[in-house]
Amino acid sequence: MSIFLGGIGILAYVAIWVFVPVTGEEESIATRVVADRRELQIVLALSSALFAVLLVTRSLGVTDLGVPTLTLLVGAVGALVVWRGASTAETSRLRVRLNAAPGVAAGRSGWRRVAARAVIGLVLILVGVGELSRTGSFSGAALGVLIGTVLFVGGFLVLFAPWWVRTLRDLSTERRERVRAQERADMAAHVHDSVLQTLSLIQKAADDPREVVRLARREERELRHWLFDPERLGRHGQRPETLADAVAAIEREVEDSYGVGVELIVVGDCPMDDGVAALVGACREATVNAAKWSGCAQVAVFVEVERSAVSAYVRDLGSGFEPALVPDDRQGIACSMVERMERVGGNVAVHSSPGAGTEVELVLPRSTPTR
Amino acid sequence: MTDAGRLRVFVVDDHALVRSGIRAELGDAVDVVGEADEVGAAVELILERIPDVVLLDVHMPGGGGRAVLEQVLAQAPTVAFLALSMSDAAEDVIDVIRAGARGYVTKHISGPDLVDAIRRIAEGDAVFSPRLAGFVLDAFADPAQGPAPTPSFDPELDQLTPRERQVLRLIARGYAYKEIARELGISTKTVESHVSAVLRKLQLANRYQLTNWAAERRML
Repeated sequence: MSIFLGGIGILAYVAIWVFVPVTGEEESIATRVVADRRELQIVLALSSALFAVLLVTRSLGVTDLGVPTLTLLVGAVGALVVWRGASTAETSRLRVRLNAAPGVAAGRSGWRRVAARAVIGLVLILVGVGELSRTGSFSGAALGVLIGTVLFVGGFLVLFAPWWVRTLRDLSTERRERVRAQERADMAAHVHDSVLQTLSLIQKAADDPREVVRLARREERELRHWLFDPERLGRHGQRPETLADAVAAIEREVEDSYGVGVELIVVGDCPMDDGVAALVGACREATVNAAKWSGCAQVAVFVEVERSAVSAYVRDLGSGFEPALVPDDRQGIACSMVERMERVGGNVAVHSSPGAGTEVELVLPRSTPTR
Repeated sequence: MTDAGRLRVFVVDDHALVRSGIRAELGDAVDVVGEADEVGAAVELILERIPDVVLLDVHMPGGGGRAVLEQVLAQAPTVAFLALSMSDAAEDVIDVIRAGARGYVTKHISGPDLVDAIRRIAEGDAVFSPRLAGFVLDAFADPAQGPAPTPSFDPELDQLTPRERQVLRLIARGYAYKEIARELGISTKTVESHVSAVLRKLQLANRYQLTNWAAERRML
Protein backbone atom coordinates (compact mmCIF):
# COMPACT_ATOMS: atom_id res chain seq x y z
CA MET A 1 0.00 0.00 0.00
CA SER A 2 2.71 2.48 0.93
CA ILE A 3 4.54 1.68 -2.30
CA PHE A 4 1.41 2.62 -4.17
CA LEU A 5 1.24 5.90 -2.23
CA GLY A 6 4.90 6.51 -2.82
CA GLY A 7 4.09 6.06 -6.47
CA ILE A 8 1.70 9.00 -6.30
CA GLY A 9 4.32 11.07 -4.50
CA ILE A 10 6.86 10.36 -7.17
CA LEU A 11 4.30 11.02 -9.86
CA ALA A 12 3.46 14.44 -8.43
CA TYR A 13 7.12 15.29 -8.27
CA VAL A 14 7.78 13.94 -11.71
CA ALA A 15 4.84 15.85 -13.14
CA ILE A 16 6.30 19.13 -11.95
CA TRP A 17 9.66 18.21 -13.34
CA VAL A 18 8.29 17.08 -16.66
CA PHE A 19 5.94 19.92 -17.44
CA VAL A 20 7.65 22.96 -15.98
CA PRO A 21 10.51 24.25 -18.08
CA VAL A 22 13.64 25.39 -16.26
CA THR A 23 13.95 29.18 -16.02
CA GLY A 24 16.14 30.32 -18.85
CA GLU A 25 15.38 27.21 -20.88
CA GLU A 26 12.60 27.25 -23.40
CA GLU A 27 11.42 23.68 -23.27
CA SER A 28 10.43 21.36 -20.47
CA ILE A 29 11.19 17.67 -20.51
CA ALA A 30 7.67 17.08 -21.81
CA THR A 31 8.14 19.31 -24.85
CA ARG A 32 11.53 17.76 -25.48
CA VAL A 33 9.96 14.32 -25.42
CA VAL A 34 7.14 15.35 -27.73
CA ALA A 35 9.61 16.95 -30.08
CA ASP A 36 11.52 13.67 -30.37
CA ARG A 37 9.56 11.09 -32.35
CA ARG A 38 11.36 8.14 -30.77
CA GLU A 39 10.18 9.01 -27.29
CA LEU A 40 6.61 9.22 -28.53
CA GLN A 41 6.92 5.78 -30.05
CA ILE A 42 8.08 4.40 -26.75
CA VAL A 43 5.14 5.98 -24.99
CA LEU A 44 2.73 4.50 -27.55
CA ALA A 45 4.31 1.06 -27.38
CA LEU A 46 4.27 0.97 -23.61
CA SER A 47 0.71 2.30 -23.48
CA SER A 48 -0.52 -0.46 -25.73
CA ALA A 49 1.33 -3.03 -23.63
CA LEU A 50 -0.27 -1.52 -20.55
CA PHE A 51 -3.65 -1.69 -22.18
CA ALA A 52 -3.10 -5.37 -23.00
CA VAL A 53 -2.04 -6.19 -19.45
CA LEU A 54 -5.09 -4.45 -18.03
CA LEU A 55 -7.37 -6.24 -20.48
CA VAL A 56 -5.94 -9.61 -19.48
CA THR A 57 -6.20 -8.97 -15.73
CA ARG A 58 -9.74 -7.68 -16.15
CA SER A 59 -10.79 -10.73 -18.16
CA LEU A 60 -9.24 -13.01 -15.53
CA GLY A 61 -11.44 -11.27 -12.99
CA VAL A 62 -8.60 -9.84 -10.93
CA THR A 63 -10.39 -6.53 -10.51
CA ASP A 64 -8.95 -5.78 -7.04
CA LEU A 65 -5.52 -5.21 -8.46
CA GLY A 66 -6.81 -2.66 -10.96
CA VAL A 67 -5.96 0.66 -9.36
CA PRO A 68 -2.56 -0.15 -7.81
CA THR A 69 -1.41 -1.97 -10.92
CA LEU A 70 -2.52 0.88 -13.15
CA THR A 71 -0.71 3.36 -10.93
CA LEU A 72 2.46 1.33 -10.89
CA LEU A 73 2.47 0.76 -14.62
CA VAL A 74 1.69 4.37 -15.51
CA GLY A 75 4.34 5.40 -13.01
CA ALA A 76 6.87 3.08 -14.59
CA VAL A 77 6.13 4.31 -18.12
CA GLY A 78 6.26 7.92 -16.97
CA ALA A 79 9.54 7.36 -15.15
CA LEU A 80 11.08 5.75 -18.21
CA VAL A 81 9.98 8.61 -20.45
CA VAL A 82 11.31 11.17 -18.00
CA TRP A 83 14.56 9.28 -17.75
CA ARG A 84 14.99 9.34 -21.51
CA GLY A 85 13.88 12.94 -21.95
CA ALA A 86 16.01 14.32 -19.14
CA SER A 87 19.38 15.86 -19.79
CA THR A 88 22.50 14.21 -18.40
CA ALA A 89 22.61 16.60 -15.47
CA GLU A 90 18.97 15.92 -14.67
CA THR A 91 19.47 12.16 -14.82
CA SER A 92 22.29 12.24 -12.30
CA ARG A 93 20.29 14.53 -10.03
CA LEU A 94 17.28 12.25 -10.32
CA ARG A 95 19.40 9.27 -9.31
CA VAL A 96 20.66 11.07 -6.19
CA ARG A 97 17.11 12.13 -5.32
CA LEU A 98 15.64 8.66 -5.63
CA ASN A 99 18.39 7.23 -3.45
CA ALA A 100 17.39 9.69 -0.77
CA ALA A 101 13.79 8.47 -0.65
CA PRO A 102 12.62 7.43 2.84
CA GLY A 103 13.53 3.86 3.60
CA VAL A 104 16.12 3.73 0.82
CA ALA A 105 18.71 5.78 2.67
CA ALA A 106 18.92 7.62 5.96
CA GLY A 107 19.73 10.98 4.48
CA ARG A 108 20.98 13.79 6.65
CA SER A 109 18.50 13.37 9.50
CA GLY A 110 19.88 10.03 10.70
CA TRP A 111 18.38 6.57 11.08
CA ARG A 112 16.65 7.11 14.37
CA ARG A 113 14.51 9.95 13.16
CA VAL A 114 13.70 8.17 9.93
CA ALA A 115 12.63 5.07 11.86
CA ALA A 116 10.46 7.11 14.25
CA ARG A 117 8.86 8.90 11.35
CA ALA A 118 8.30 5.68 9.45
CA VAL A 119 6.67 3.98 12.47
CA ILE A 120 4.38 6.91 13.25
CA GLY A 121 3.51 7.42 9.60
CA LEU A 122 2.76 3.75 8.97
CA VAL A 123 0.67 3.41 12.17
CA LEU A 124 -1.37 6.48 11.23
CA ILE A 125 -1.87 5.24 7.68
CA LEU A 126 -2.86 1.74 8.80
CA VAL A 127 -5.30 3.04 11.44
CA GLY A 128 -6.68 5.43 8.84
CA VAL A 129 -7.12 2.65 6.32
CA GLY A 130 -8.79 0.50 8.97
CA GLU A 131 -11.14 3.33 9.85
CA LEU A 132 -11.92 3.92 6.20
CA SER A 133 -12.61 0.26 5.50
CA ARG A 134 -14.89 -0.07 8.54
CA THR A 135 -17.19 2.69 7.32
CA GLY A 136 -19.88 2.51 4.76
CA SER A 137 -22.24 0.05 6.50
CA PHE A 138 -23.59 2.01 9.47
CA SER A 139 -24.94 5.46 10.26
CA GLY A 140 -21.79 7.07 11.79
CA ALA A 141 -20.17 6.83 8.40
CA ALA A 142 -19.46 10.53 7.87
CA LEU A 143 -17.47 10.90 11.12
CA GLY A 144 -15.53 7.72 10.44
CA VAL A 145 -14.63 8.84 6.96
CA LEU A 146 -13.51 12.17 8.31
CA ILE A 147 -11.28 10.68 11.05
CA GLY A 148 -9.98 8.05 8.68
CA THR A 149 -9.08 10.59 6.06
CA VAL A 150 -7.38 12.88 8.55
CA LEU A 151 -5.32 10.00 9.98
CA PHE A 152 -4.56 8.72 6.54
CA VAL A 153 -3.39 12.05 5.17
CA GLY A 154 -1.55 12.86 8.41
CA GLY A 155 0.38 9.60 8.28
CA PHE A 156 1.13 10.23 4.67
CA LEU A 157 2.52 13.67 5.43
CA VAL A 158 4.62 12.47 8.38
CA LEU A 159 6.15 9.80 6.23
CA PHE A 160 6.81 11.75 3.06
CA ALA A 161 6.58 15.50 3.62
CA PRO A 162 10.22 16.07 4.64
CA TRP A 163 11.39 14.25 1.57
CA TRP A 164 9.09 16.29 -0.68
CA VAL A 165 10.14 19.56 0.82
CA ARG A 166 13.81 18.72 0.57
CA THR A 167 13.36 17.47 -2.95
CA LEU A 168 11.55 20.59 -4.09
CA ARG A 169 14.13 22.79 -2.41
CA ASP A 170 17.03 20.90 -3.93
CA LEU A 171 15.30 20.94 -7.25
CA SER A 172 15.00 24.71 -7.26
CA THR A 173 18.60 25.13 -6.09
CA GLU A 174 19.69 22.82 -8.80
CA ARG A 175 17.74 24.80 -11.38
CA ARG A 176 19.29 28.03 -10.20
CA GLU A 177 22.72 26.47 -10.56
CA ARG A 178 21.90 25.24 -14.01
CA VAL A 179 20.64 28.69 -15.05
CA ARG A 180 23.86 30.16 -13.70
CA ALA A 181 25.92 27.67 -15.67
CA GLN A 182 23.88 28.58 -18.73
CA GLU A 183 24.60 32.26 -18.17
CA ARG A 184 28.30 31.55 -17.86
CA ALA A 185 28.17 29.68 -21.13
CA ASP A 186 26.34 32.57 -22.80
CA MET A 187 28.89 34.99 -21.46
CA ALA A 188 31.76 32.86 -22.77
CA ALA A 189 30.09 32.66 -26.16
CA HIS A 190 29.57 36.40 -26.24
CA VAL A 191 33.14 37.15 -25.24
CA HIS A 192 34.35 34.82 -27.93
CA ASP A 193 32.16 36.33 -30.65
CA SER A 194 32.94 39.90 -29.75
CA VAL A 195 36.04 40.62 -27.70
CA LEU A 196 38.25 37.81 -28.92
CA GLN A 197 37.34 38.46 -32.54
CA THR A 198 38.08 42.13 -32.16
CA LEU A 199 41.39 41.41 -30.46
CA SER A 200 42.46 39.27 -33.39
CA LEU A 201 41.39 42.01 -35.81
CA ILE A 202 43.43 44.48 -33.80
CA GLN A 203 46.50 42.26 -34.01
CA LYS A 204 46.10 42.10 -37.77
CA ALA A 205 45.68 45.86 -38.01
CA ALA A 206 48.60 46.64 -35.70
CA ASP A 207 50.26 48.85 -38.35
CA ASP A 208 47.26 51.14 -38.66
CA PRO A 209 46.72 53.06 -35.42
CA ARG A 210 43.51 54.64 -36.72
CA GLU A 211 41.99 51.28 -37.45
CA VAL A 212 43.11 49.92 -34.09
CA VAL A 213 41.45 52.81 -32.29
CA ARG A 214 38.30 52.41 -34.35
CA LEU A 215 38.07 48.68 -33.61
CA ALA A 216 38.75 49.20 -29.93
CA ARG A 217 36.12 51.92 -29.68
CA ARG A 218 33.49 49.88 -31.39
CA GLU A 219 34.16 46.89 -29.20
CA GLU A 220 34.13 48.98 -26.06
CA ARG A 221 30.83 50.59 -27.00
CA GLU A 222 29.20 47.26 -27.77
CA LEU A 223 30.52 45.64 -24.64
CA ARG A 224 29.32 48.53 -22.56
CA HIS A 225 25.84 48.29 -24.03
CA TRP A 226 25.81 44.57 -23.51
CA LEU A 227 26.80 44.93 -19.88
CA PHE A 228 24.74 47.92 -18.82
CA ASP A 229 22.01 48.39 -21.35
CA PRO A 230 21.03 45.06 -22.87
CA GLU A 231 17.56 46.25 -23.83
CA ARG A 232 19.00 48.93 -26.03
CA LEU A 233 21.34 46.44 -27.66
CA GLY A 234 18.28 44.37 -28.47
CA ARG A 235 16.79 47.36 -30.27
CA HIS A 236 20.02 47.87 -32.18
CA GLY A 237 19.32 48.11 -35.89
CA GLN A 238 15.65 48.81 -35.42
CA ARG A 239 14.11 52.16 -36.05
CA PRO A 240 14.86 54.16 -32.90
CA GLU A 241 11.81 54.82 -30.77
CA THR A 242 13.27 57.34 -28.40
CA LEU A 243 15.70 60.22 -28.51
CA ALA A 244 18.31 58.35 -26.48
CA ASP A 245 18.27 55.44 -28.95
CA ALA A 246 18.56 57.79 -31.90
CA VAL A 247 21.56 59.69 -30.56
CA ALA A 248 23.20 56.42 -29.52
CA ALA A 249 23.00 55.50 -33.20
CA ILE A 250 24.84 58.74 -34.07
CA GLU A 251 27.57 57.82 -31.62
CA ARG A 252 27.89 54.42 -33.27
CA GLU A 253 27.94 55.72 -36.83
CA VAL A 254 30.42 58.51 -36.27
CA GLU A 255 32.82 56.39 -34.24
CA ASP A 256 32.73 53.67 -36.86
CA SER A 257 32.97 55.88 -39.94
CA TYR A 258 35.44 58.51 -38.81
CA GLY A 259 37.47 56.86 -36.06
CA VAL A 260 36.71 59.74 -33.76
CA GLY A 261 35.55 59.19 -30.19
CA VAL A 262 32.12 60.49 -29.27
CA GLU A 263 31.53 61.21 -25.60
CA LEU A 264 27.75 61.02 -25.51
CA ILE A 265 25.82 62.11 -22.46
CA VAL A 266 22.05 61.96 -22.43
CA VAL A 267 19.94 63.34 -19.61
CA GLY A 268 16.30 62.29 -19.74
CA ASP A 269 14.59 60.80 -22.75
CA CYS A 270 11.50 61.32 -24.88
CA PRO A 271 9.72 59.52 -27.69
CA MET A 272 10.57 60.39 -31.28
CA ASP A 273 8.37 62.83 -33.17
CA ASP A 274 8.99 65.10 -36.16
CA GLY A 275 10.64 67.79 -34.09
CA VAL A 276 12.88 65.38 -32.23
CA ALA A 277 13.76 63.65 -35.49
CA ALA A 278 14.83 67.00 -36.95
CA LEU A 279 16.93 67.70 -33.87
CA VAL A 280 18.57 64.28 -34.14
CA GLY A 281 19.28 64.87 -37.83
CA ALA A 282 20.87 68.23 -37.12
CA CYS A 283 22.82 66.71 -34.24
CA ARG A 284 24.13 64.00 -36.55
CA GLU A 285 25.22 66.62 -39.07
CA ALA A 286 27.01 68.64 -36.39
CA THR A 287 28.75 65.56 -35.00
CA VAL A 288 29.85 64.40 -38.44
CA ASN A 289 31.17 67.89 -39.23
CA ALA A 290 33.14 67.95 -36.00
CA ALA A 291 34.55 64.49 -36.71
CA LYS A 292 35.48 65.41 -40.28
CA TRP A 293 36.83 68.93 -39.99
CA SER A 294 37.93 69.69 -36.44
CA GLY A 295 40.99 67.44 -36.47
CA CYS A 296 40.06 66.51 -32.93
CA ALA A 297 40.06 62.91 -31.66
CA GLN A 298 37.08 63.47 -29.38
CA VAL A 299 33.69 65.08 -29.84
CA ALA A 300 31.45 65.78 -26.86
CA VAL A 301 27.70 65.43 -27.42
CA PHE A 302 25.33 66.42 -24.66
CA VAL A 303 21.59 65.95 -25.04
CA GLU A 304 19.11 67.03 -22.42
CA VAL A 305 15.35 66.62 -22.31
CA GLU A 306 13.51 69.12 -20.18
CA ARG A 307 9.85 69.81 -19.92
CA SER A 308 10.08 72.99 -21.94
CA ALA A 309 12.76 72.06 -24.46
CA VAL A 310 15.05 69.42 -25.88
CA SER A 311 18.57 70.66 -26.39
CA ALA A 312 21.71 69.18 -27.91
CA TYR A 313 25.27 70.49 -27.76
CA VAL A 314 28.01 69.20 -30.01
CA ARG A 315 31.43 70.40 -29.04
CA ASP A 316 34.98 69.82 -30.19
CA LEU A 317 38.25 71.43 -29.20
CA GLY A 318 39.64 71.34 -32.73
CA SER A 319 40.63 73.89 -35.32
CA GLY A 320 37.42 75.91 -35.29
CA PHE A 321 36.43 78.40 -38.00
CA GLU A 322 35.02 81.84 -38.55
CA PRO A 323 31.27 81.30 -39.05
CA ALA A 324 30.89 84.56 -41.00
CA LEU A 325 33.49 83.46 -43.52
CA VAL A 326 31.88 80.19 -44.57
CA PRO A 327 31.15 80.45 -48.31
CA ASP A 328 27.54 80.20 -49.43
CA ASP A 329 28.16 77.12 -51.52
CA ARG A 330 29.00 75.13 -48.40
CA GLN A 331 25.45 74.16 -47.67
CA GLY A 332 26.05 71.73 -44.80
CA ILE A 333 25.30 74.05 -41.94
CA ALA A 334 22.66 76.06 -43.75
CA CYS A 335 20.50 73.25 -45.05
CA SER A 336 20.97 70.39 -42.72
CA MET A 337 20.89 72.23 -39.47
CA VAL A 338 19.40 75.70 -39.60
CA GLU A 339 16.57 75.04 -42.04
CA ARG A 340 15.77 71.68 -40.55
CA MET A 341 15.53 73.12 -37.07
CA GLU A 342 13.60 76.20 -38.13
CA ARG A 343 11.03 74.08 -39.88
CA VAL A 344 10.09 72.51 -36.54
CA GLY A 345 10.34 75.74 -34.59
CA GLY A 346 13.84 75.18 -33.19
CA ASN A 347 17.05 77.19 -33.17
CA VAL A 348 20.65 76.62 -34.10
CA ALA A 349 23.58 78.60 -32.75
CA VAL A 350 27.15 77.96 -33.81
CA HIS A 351 29.93 79.23 -31.59
CA SER A 352 33.32 78.94 -33.14
CA SER A 353 36.51 80.81 -33.67
CA PRO A 354 39.71 79.70 -35.36
CA GLY A 355 41.86 77.63 -33.03
CA ALA A 356 39.35 77.55 -30.19
CA GLY A 357 37.09 74.69 -31.25
CA THR A 358 33.43 74.71 -32.17
CA GLU A 359 30.19 74.26 -30.33
CA VAL A 360 26.87 73.79 -32.06
CA GLU A 361 23.82 74.43 -29.93
CA LEU A 362 20.46 72.98 -31.02
CA VAL A 363 17.32 73.85 -29.09
CA LEU A 364 13.83 72.53 -29.76
CA PRO A 365 11.01 73.97 -27.64
CA ARG A 366 8.36 71.43 -26.76
CA SER A 367 4.87 71.44 -25.31
CA THR A 368 4.17 67.87 -24.22
CA PRO A 369 5.63 67.13 -20.80
CA THR A 370 6.65 63.53 -21.39
CA ARG A 371 9.87 61.97 -20.43
CA MET B 1 52.28 66.57 0.64
CA THR B 2 55.93 65.66 0.80
CA ASP B 3 58.71 68.19 1.28
CA ALA B 4 59.34 68.23 -2.46
CA GLY B 5 55.74 69.36 -2.89
CA ARG B 6 54.89 66.34 -4.94
CA LEU B 7 51.58 64.69 -4.21
CA ARG B 8 51.69 61.21 -2.74
CA VAL B 9 49.36 58.95 -4.67
CA PHE B 10 48.26 55.39 -4.01
CA VAL B 11 46.78 53.20 -6.76
CA VAL B 12 44.18 50.52 -6.06
CA ASP B 13 43.17 48.33 -8.98
CA ASP B 14 42.92 44.59 -9.33
CA HIS B 15 44.48 44.61 -12.80
CA ALA B 16 48.27 44.87 -12.90
CA LEU B 17 48.05 46.14 -16.47
CA VAL B 18 45.83 49.04 -15.44
CA ARG B 19 48.08 49.89 -12.50
CA SER B 20 51.19 50.07 -14.63
CA GLY B 21 49.25 52.06 -17.22
CA ILE B 22 48.24 54.59 -14.59
CA ARG B 23 51.82 54.78 -13.31
CA ALA B 24 53.03 55.46 -16.84
CA GLU B 25 50.38 58.14 -17.41
CA LEU B 26 51.25 59.88 -14.18
CA GLY B 27 54.97 59.83 -14.89
CA ASP B 28 56.98 62.08 -12.63
CA ALA B 29 54.16 64.49 -11.94
CA VAL B 30 53.23 62.76 -8.70
CA ASP B 31 54.84 60.37 -6.29
CA VAL B 32 53.20 56.94 -6.48
CA VAL B 33 53.79 55.63 -2.96
CA GLY B 34 52.20 52.26 -3.40
CA GLU B 35 49.65 50.10 -5.07
CA ALA B 36 47.37 47.27 -4.11
CA ASP B 37 45.23 44.77 -5.96
CA GLU B 38 42.71 43.77 -3.33
CA VAL B 39 40.61 45.30 -0.58
CA GLY B 40 42.46 43.99 2.47
CA ALA B 41 45.95 44.92 1.32
CA ALA B 42 44.74 48.29 0.06
CA VAL B 43 43.22 49.25 3.41
CA GLU B 44 46.31 48.15 5.34
CA LEU B 45 48.83 49.91 3.08
CA ILE B 46 46.82 53.12 2.75
CA LEU B 47 46.47 53.37 6.53
CA GLU B 48 50.19 52.73 6.88
CA ARG B 49 51.34 55.27 4.28
CA ILE B 50 48.54 57.86 4.44
CA PRO B 51 48.80 59.14 0.84
CA ASP B 52 47.29 62.45 -0.28
CA VAL B 53 45.10 60.85 -2.90
CA VAL B 54 43.99 57.30 -3.56
CA LEU B 55 43.08 56.35 -7.13
CA LEU B 56 40.42 53.74 -6.61
CA ASP B 57 39.01 51.25 -9.08
CA VAL B 58 35.25 51.04 -8.70
CA HIS B 59 35.05 47.36 -9.55
CA MET B 60 37.12 45.25 -7.21
CA PRO B 61 36.52 41.75 -5.94
CA GLY B 62 35.85 41.46 -2.22
CA GLY B 63 33.36 44.27 -1.76
CA GLY B 64 34.66 46.61 -4.43
CA GLY B 65 35.93 50.11 -4.10
CA ARG B 66 33.22 50.90 -1.62
CA ALA B 67 34.73 48.57 0.99
CA VAL B 68 38.14 50.26 0.72
CA LEU B 69 36.54 53.69 1.05
CA GLU B 70 34.52 52.82 4.10
CA GLN B 71 37.30 51.04 5.95
CA VAL B 72 39.93 53.71 5.27
CA LEU B 73 37.72 56.72 5.91
CA ALA B 74 36.59 55.27 9.23
CA GLN B 75 40.18 55.51 10.48
CA ALA B 76 41.79 58.15 8.28
CA PRO B 77 39.16 60.68 7.20
CA THR B 78 41.76 62.98 5.61
CA VAL B 79 42.65 60.61 2.79
CA ALA B 80 41.01 61.77 -0.43
CA PHE B 81 39.69 59.32 -2.99
CA LEU B 82 39.31 59.67 -6.74
CA ALA B 83 37.26 56.89 -8.31
CA LEU B 84 38.51 55.54 -11.60
CA SER B 85 36.28 53.33 -13.63
CA MET B 86 36.09 51.56 -16.90
CA SER B 87 32.35 51.20 -16.72
CA ASP B 88 29.73 53.82 -16.34
CA ALA B 89 26.99 51.93 -14.62
CA ALA B 90 25.19 54.74 -12.87
CA GLU B 91 24.57 52.92 -9.62
CA ASP B 92 28.24 51.93 -9.22
CA VAL B 93 29.43 55.47 -9.72
CA ILE B 94 26.84 57.01 -7.43
CA ASP B 95 27.66 54.32 -4.91
CA VAL B 96 31.38 55.17 -4.55
CA ILE B 97 30.64 58.88 -4.47
CA ARG B 98 28.17 58.33 -1.68
CA ALA B 99 30.70 56.20 0.16
CA GLY B 100 33.03 59.21 0.20
CA ALA B 101 35.00 59.47 -3.06
CA ARG B 102 35.56 63.11 -4.00
CA GLY B 103 35.44 62.55 -7.71
CA TYR B 104 34.96 60.19 -10.57
CA VAL B 105 36.78 59.94 -13.89
CA THR B 106 36.90 57.22 -16.53
CA LYS B 107 40.10 55.39 -17.31
CA HIS B 108 40.18 57.08 -20.71
CA ILE B 109 41.30 60.30 -19.11
CA SER B 110 44.59 61.64 -20.46
CA GLY B 111 47.72 61.78 -18.28
CA PRO B 112 47.75 65.56 -17.78
CA ASP B 113 44.02 65.61 -17.05
CA LEU B 114 44.45 62.86 -14.48
CA VAL B 115 47.28 64.75 -12.76
CA ASP B 116 45.10 67.84 -12.78
CA ALA B 117 42.22 65.88 -11.25
CA ILE B 118 44.51 64.45 -8.56
CA ARG B 119 45.71 67.92 -7.69
CA ARG B 120 42.16 69.20 -7.41
CA ILE B 121 41.13 66.30 -5.21
CA ALA B 122 44.16 66.84 -2.95
CA GLU B 123 43.17 70.47 -2.54
CA GLY B 124 39.79 69.39 -1.29
CA ASP B 125 37.82 70.04 -4.45
CA ALA B 126 35.57 67.67 -6.30
CA VAL B 127 36.20 66.28 -9.76
CA PHE B 128 33.32 65.44 -12.02
CA SER B 129 33.67 63.81 -15.40
CA PRO B 130 31.10 64.80 -18.02
CA ARG B 131 29.37 61.50 -17.50
CA LEU B 132 29.08 61.90 -13.75
CA ALA B 133 27.67 65.38 -14.35
CA GLY B 134 25.10 63.78 -16.66
CA PHE B 135 24.17 61.21 -14.04
CA VAL B 136 23.72 63.86 -11.40
CA LEU B 137 21.58 66.04 -13.65
CA ASP B 138 19.47 63.01 -14.37
CA ALA B 139 19.22 61.94 -10.72
CA PHE B 140 18.38 65.41 -9.47
CA ALA B 141 15.85 66.11 -12.20
CA ASP B 142 14.55 69.63 -11.64
CA PRO B 143 11.16 69.29 -9.94
CA ALA B 144 9.90 72.20 -12.03
CA GLN B 145 10.99 70.34 -15.17
CA GLY B 146 10.94 66.70 -14.27
CA PRO B 147 8.04 64.33 -14.63
CA ALA B 148 7.18 63.40 -11.04
CA PRO B 149 8.61 65.27 -8.09
CA THR B 150 9.69 62.80 -5.44
CA PRO B 151 8.55 63.70 -1.94
CA SER B 152 11.57 65.09 -0.22
CA PHE B 153 12.50 65.37 3.44
CA ASP B 154 15.17 67.96 2.95
CA PRO B 155 14.65 70.16 -0.12
CA GLU B 156 17.97 71.92 0.55
CA LEU B 157 19.84 68.69 -0.03
CA ASP B 158 17.59 67.01 -2.52
CA GLN B 159 17.64 69.75 -5.11
CA LEU B 160 20.26 71.57 -7.09
CA THR B 161 20.33 75.34 -7.40
CA PRO B 162 19.93 76.77 -10.92
CA ARG B 163 23.60 77.82 -10.82
CA GLU B 164 24.76 74.33 -9.87
CA ARG B 165 22.64 72.97 -12.67
CA GLN B 166 24.29 75.38 -15.12
CA VAL B 167 27.75 74.32 -13.98
CA LEU B 168 26.91 70.62 -14.30
CA ARG B 169 25.46 71.18 -17.76
CA LEU B 170 28.67 72.82 -18.90
CA ILE B 171 30.73 69.99 -17.45
CA ALA B 172 28.52 67.52 -19.31
CA ARG B 173 29.07 69.55 -22.50
CA GLY B 174 32.80 69.00 -22.09
CA TYR B 175 33.85 72.34 -20.62
CA ALA B 176 36.89 72.58 -18.35
CA TYR B 177 36.49 74.51 -15.07
CA LYS B 178 38.36 77.48 -16.54
CA GLU B 179 36.05 77.57 -19.55
CA ILE B 180 33.00 77.30 -17.32
CA ALA B 181 34.23 80.24 -15.27
CA ARG B 182 34.66 82.30 -18.44
CA GLU B 183 31.26 81.27 -19.81
CA LEU B 184 29.40 82.16 -16.62
CA GLY B 185 31.50 85.18 -15.72
CA ILE B 186 32.58 83.80 -12.36
CA SER B 187 35.93 82.74 -10.90
CA THR B 188 37.34 79.24 -11.17
CA LYS B 189 37.18 79.03 -7.37
CA THR B 190 33.45 79.69 -7.51
CA VAL B 191 33.02 76.93 -10.08
CA GLU B 192 34.92 74.61 -7.76
CA SER B 193 32.76 75.51 -4.80
CA HIS B 194 29.62 74.82 -6.84
CA VAL B 195 30.95 71.39 -7.79
CA SER B 196 31.88 70.67 -4.17
CA ALA B 197 28.37 71.66 -3.11
CA VAL B 198 26.91 69.24 -5.63
CA LEU B 199 29.22 66.52 -4.35
CA ARG B 200 28.04 67.14 -0.81
CA LYS B 201 24.41 66.94 -1.90
CA LEU B 202 25.13 63.76 -3.75
CA GLN B 203 26.63 62.26 -0.62
CA LEU B 204 23.97 63.44 1.80
CA ALA B 205 20.77 63.57 -0.22
CA ASN B 206 17.84 61.30 0.49
CA ARG B 207 19.23 57.84 -0.06
CA TYR B 208 15.94 56.38 -1.14
CA GLN B 209 15.49 58.81 -3.99
CA LEU B 210 18.92 58.16 -5.45
CA THR B 211 18.72 54.41 -5.17
CA ASN B 212 15.36 54.57 -6.81
CA TRP B 213 16.71 56.62 -9.62
CA ALA B 214 19.63 54.29 -10.21
CA ALA B 215 17.30 51.31 -10.26
CA GLU B 216 14.89 52.98 -12.67
CA ARG B 217 17.69 53.99 -14.99
CA ARG B 218 18.47 50.38 -15.65
CA MET B 219 14.96 49.79 -16.87
CA LEU B 220 14.85 52.76 -19.21
